[in-house]
Amino acid sequence: MIYFIVAVLSLALLFAVIRGINGPTASDRIVALDNLTTITTAALVLLGLFFERYIYVDVALIYGVLSFIGVLTMARYMGGGL
Amino acid sequence: MDWMAFLVSGLVLILIISAVFSIMQKDLLVAVIGTAAISVVLSILFYLLQAPDVALTEAAIGAALSTIIFLIAIKKTDRFEE
Repeated sequence: MIYFIVAVLSLALLFAVIRGINGPTASDRIVALDNLTTITTAALVLLGLFFERYIYVDVALIYGVLSFIGVLTMARYMGGGL
Repeated sequence: MDWMAFLVSGLVLILIISAVFSIMQKDLLVAVIGTAAISVVLSILFYLLQAPDVALTEAAIGAALSTIIFLIAIKKTDRFEE
């Protein structure tokens, strides 16, 4: 079961990277980066479950709290604020 | 643990592709997006190699602090490199 989930998450990561590389504008790449951070959070929770060290889930918690700030700053820059 | 070596190899490949993509850009906002993608993939890689504290620090600094400082620098200078 865990191999199937790892395969699906790896495929989603690969598609997000492909979208980020050949997106025509900068906005497409920002959305692809946001997608990449969401997939990464799911992957960190899954791997913490797999290693059976539940302190590892805290890394995913901190990452989920902090990862949107970069995308938010980029969107603020595109909107002319900052 | 064979799939673990496969996963680490794929992540290192994504890391190299993202780094080359980031240094070939003329649009500096896209280069910052590439740097953030490098930080995301490197955080998963540290996590897989059983160093969750390093992954936590990399996620906190790379996702939030480094992106904001680079975007403030781009805002005060030019976006496109000539």
